[in-house]
Amino acid sequence: MTLSHLPKLLRLSLRYRRYIKNANKIEQPFGFNVRRLLAAQPLLGFLYEDWWKVQLKGLDRLPADQPALIVGNSCGLVPWPALMLIYAAMSHKKNPRRINIVADIDWIEEEHIRNALLELGVVPYSSANLKQLFAANELVAIFPEGLSAVSKPFAERYRVREFDWTRLLPAVEEGIKIFPMATIGCDEAIPNILSFDNLKKWLGSPIFAGTPFFPWLPFPINFASLPVRWSITIAKPTSYEVNSDRDQIENAAKQQCRFVEGEIQAEINRLLRARSKTIG
Amino acid sequence: MANWANLKTLGFFDPIKALEKRVPGFISKYADKEDEFGFKLETFARWEPFFRFCYEDYFKVDIRGLENVPSAGPALFVGNHSGLLPVDAGMLSVALLNHHKSPLLVRYLVTDWFFTVPGMKDWVTETGQVRATLDNATRLLAKNEFVGIYPEGLRGVGKTWKERYRMIDFHPGFVQLAIATQTPIIKVATVGGDEIFPNFVNIKELGRLIKFPFFPITPGFPWLPFPLYMFPLPVRWMINIHAPIKLDYPPEKAHDRKLVLQIAREIQYDIQRDLNKLLRERKSMFTGWDEPDDA
Repeated sequence: MTLSHLPKLLRLSLRYRRYIKNANKIEQPFGFNVRRLLAAQPLLGFLYEDWWKVQLKGLDRLPADQPALIVGNSCGLVPWPALMLIYAAMSHKKNPRRINIVADIDWIEEEHIRNALLELGVVPYSSANLKQLFAANELVAIFPEGLSAVSKPFAERYRVREFDWTRLLPAVEEGIKIFPMATIGCDEAIPNILSFDNLKKWLGSPIFAGTPFFPWLPFPINFASLPVRWSITIAKPTSYEVNSDRDQIENAAKQQCRFVEGEIQAEINRLLRARSKTIG
Repeated sequence: MANWANLKTLGFFDPIKALEKRVPGFISKYADKEDEFGFKLETFARWEPFFRFCYEDYFKVDIRGLENVPSAGPALFVGNHSGLLPVDAGMLSVALLNHHKSPLLVRYLVTDWFFTVPGMKDWVTETGQVRATLDNATRLLAKNEFVGIYPEGLRGVGKTWKERYRMIDFHPGFVQLAIATQTPIIKVATVGGDEIFPNFVNIKELGRLIKFPFFPITPGFPWLPFPLYMFPLPVRWMINIHAPIKLDYPPEKAHDRKLVLQIAREIQYDIQRDLNKLLRERKSMFTGWDEPDDA
């Protein structure tokens, strides 16, 4: 770092300031609160940079001011891949952007958790919400494997479950670009080694993981994770024809859904094959 | 199960007659056929009992979707490759020979490497395999034969234990072939093959030295003496045959690279998706799957 870098640094920091200001100004119908995100930023940064050492490729592919849909594979009880994506996108120097995670959160009844999620940028899933976000030129990420994949056993790590094609329907209707995003590392960082089917029923919770940390250890430590190296790839957007006919739209959505799922699984396979170091 | 009655079907003296007793339809179909690629019914019939033993008694292969295979060719079987010794092709052959309503022979396209191994060449061609070239494949399909392709190639065979059932990207040549010859494609997903020889490390440098595509380190290889290292684990297999897909494109489209690649990827993703599903439903490696509810 020399003095010659100073103007560039200044410019970047000014851009970042402007992003923070603007993020505060825009209308937030879903309860996003930039203060909450900034409060969480150090923790996310620690996890991203130091603990999991995330290698993210393809962030430059995301458009600068158009809407886009990112489709990813989910893993773990806490949506860590989504939070890592939020952190990466907000701290991207050239093109800092806010990511809206559209997910089912109606089953979370605990107010504090629900509010915290909403303020970080999670939006309850509905077709209307998705379209509203697209109309506002926002970046949206969805994880269409659903809740069953959240407590995937360790033996099934990095095997994508079948996607719900209706999740992609609003994007296909509007002709939004779809980016597949593959994540590896998460299933081993928080390995789900035990399943509690009866306990799940008894608690009325759709998910309940048994990790080396989760139900056993006292509160803050049970959300700990292993320092596994993560890699995330955002692949090239898929191409499809925009139609107005209803049947054709639905067929396109089904086809896109299968294709995106396959793209993600194939990219996961490639990442796993190329990985040389798992931990540390 | 293996018993004395099975031994009689081995046919040490007249393998063709022994095979004819069990599947007369097959012999009548292929006995008088001239074959330019060197298929010999006698060699095939001599080796068939061995693979049938693997199929029925050792790997206890479950087969689904046999009714999807048409009685008359041509058709193109496309699947995921597995096992250090590519026995998955043999298992599919045995299934289609013994359990299909009109027994048929699958002609697999094999890589050039087999033809460089002394003694291997004759065995490979006499049991019905053909050297993989576009020309050979087109000629086979023109004769209404069933052609089997594993587009992962040798890389797919040498997958390590960690990468089991994680498919390598398909070479899109088979789609080009299917569009050019207007042949339906039948997807085949095989579970089991990747676990019979747990390949812990693949020492590519050593493989290159002895001109092998890979040099695996398995529980048996290279530690045990000759025949012992070739014993596979008795893993339960599942072969799932999908419905044939007809590609509705004119033959000129065979040179549209983007389209061909897109279709190849879609087929690859469908097979991978089916593998994931079958693995999820499997109870364990050695016990296999529950019977389907309607059976």
